[in-house]
Amino acid sequence: METNNTLQRRRRSRAYSSEARVAYICLIPAFIGLFFLTYLPLVGVLGISLTSWTGLKSPEFVGLDNYIKLFTSDPYIKDSIVATVYFAVLSVIGSMLYSLFIAMLLNRKIPARGFFRAVFYVPYVLPAVAIYVGWSWLYEGNFGFFNYILSELGMKKILFIADSSYVVPSLSLISVWLAGNLIVIFLAGLQNVPGVYHEAAEMDGANGWQRFRHITLPCMTPIIFYNLLMSLIANLQVVTPALALTNGGPGNSSRFLTYLMYDQAFVNYKLGYACATTVIIFAILASFTVVLFKTSNLWIHNEGGDEK
Amino acid sequence: MMNILTLVAVIVFAMLAIFPIWWIFRTSLMTSAEIYRYPPALLPSNWLFSNYEKTLQVFKFWKYLWNTMLIIVPACLAGTFTATICGYAFARLRFRGKNLIWTLCVGSMLLPAMVTLIPLYIGWTRGLGLSDSYWPLILPYFCGGGAFNIFLIRQFIMSIPRELDQAATIDGAGYFRILFSIIMPAIRPAMIVVALFIFIGLWNDLLQQMIYINSSDKYTIALGLTNFRGQLKSDWSMTMAATCLSFTPGVLFYLIGQRYFVEGITLTGMKS
Repeated sequence: METNNTLQRRRRSRAYSSEARVAYICLIPAFIGLFFLTYLPLVGVLGISLTSWTGLKSPEFVGLDNYIKLFTSDPYIKDSIVATVYFAVLSVIGSMLYSLFIAMLLNRKIPARGFFRAVFYVPYVLPAVAIYVGWSWLYEGNFGFFNYILSELGMKKILFIADSSYVVPSLSLISVWLAGNLIVIFLAGLQNVPGVYHEAAEMDGANGWQRFRHITLPCMTPIIFYNLLMSLIANLQVVTPALALTNGGPGNSSRFLTYLMYDQAFVNYKLGYACATTVIIFAILASFTVVLFKTSNLWIHNEGGDEK
Repeated sequence: MMNILTLVAVIVFAMLAIFPIWWIFRTSLMTSAEIYRYPPALLPSNWLFSNYEKTLQVFKFWKYLWNTMLIIVPACLAGTFTATICGYAFARLRFRGKNLIWTLCVGSMLLPAMVTLIPLYIGWTRGLGLSDSYWPLILPYFCGGGAFNIFLIRQFIMSIPRELDQAATIDGAGYFRILFSIIMPAIRPAMIVVALFIFIGLWNDLLQQMIYINSSDKYTIALGLTNFRGQLKSDWSMTMAATCLSFTPGVLFYLIGQRYFVEGITLTGMKS
């Protein structure tokens, strides 16, 4: 009896150890990735941010100097934070409203839904640089399409991306237009809202708005949260339009934080200083994420019994 | 009645959404005189496809496309494969430290990519001497290409009944046999989705290509177009022709993989 037991246990443990060995072999890429590409660089950013490294001489420890300089005498950081948050807030609100609205339209009984979905999605698969270059022509100050519309309406021409007070809203509009992936996720979520709820509410005489407000919206909150989080993180890291079009200008009005970091590190070779900026950006991103998570249980509606 | 109103609204918004692309395209086929005419025409009077010939003489589209593919193809293959084997280990295998490693993996998903940019740049160029090279853009995909892809594959494998593996185990199949002959065929849609995400990620990237690639004969589409625009600030028909050329691979790729795109994006929204 006893020998049988030990035999069994030994066999099981041998099976386990070979299973574990296979697992570790499979995970070699993940180990390398997590260590060398994620956590070591993360420590690296913190470490380098405490030095005055320019990439030429060996790094010199300067303590919190970079941070102090950033907060007290950096000519750009304040404008950068304002531009980034302004852009992210406009883009996130705009793209959430736009994509939820379009998804609700597409969720109605319409012919050729697949075709229309493709139309709204297509901007997302075009290379970002080409999008920005293309739109820069629509925004052109004299002959661009938007100025044609303005002059037809009898309004004064606007320079859009060449005007410091219009550049951020103009770029946000492009980012709203690019929100095709949000539409697809919202549409899938809407199709999961049980039809019975709507039928029952309709029988009780609820109108369209009431059904949206009390059925669709509560059922969609987990997906709204997911889309909100993803688009917030993506838009706070905005950099491509500044690299491809504006170079941070006019003035500092589109000098987004990631562009500022790029400029410090790869144009001016102040690696230590740029790492301090990175830490600030990370802190801003993290605090937005934390606030979103903390407030999420106030408005996310969890359907009981639907959990695994 | 309601449905007709909805349809009209959908058509109007679809036309608004597609309009910028049309405007760019129609500009690429016009003479400069026509571009600056007032009021602007919706259609070019002559479809000047010769603008494209002219553009291709300056804008080395085929070269840039080839260079871009030199990055994207290996990255997609390697990223999909490594994400799959890692996802398999997390979904199916028992091993010591699994929870810790999984937590580290999920944690890294919340880490924005720009945070690691500078240390990675130092590592690739100073540490490994890989400046002006595609390797820093490709090699990360040999590590699963980010925790998000591993996460996606894991979720997908977990939705496949374990009985399939167990039946194969009884037939004497080892873990790798199970992975290759049972799991992989079953999660093909998820693997295609991961490949598509890697494609989109690299396709849209400009920052990393800008810092790792210096010489102009190594330029990708993103770099080539940025540079081209800088040179030809006012020749809008040629700039728009180059823009349209850069649109085409993505559109083709999308038309081929449309079903998987929609499936995959839906999947990410639902499973997380």
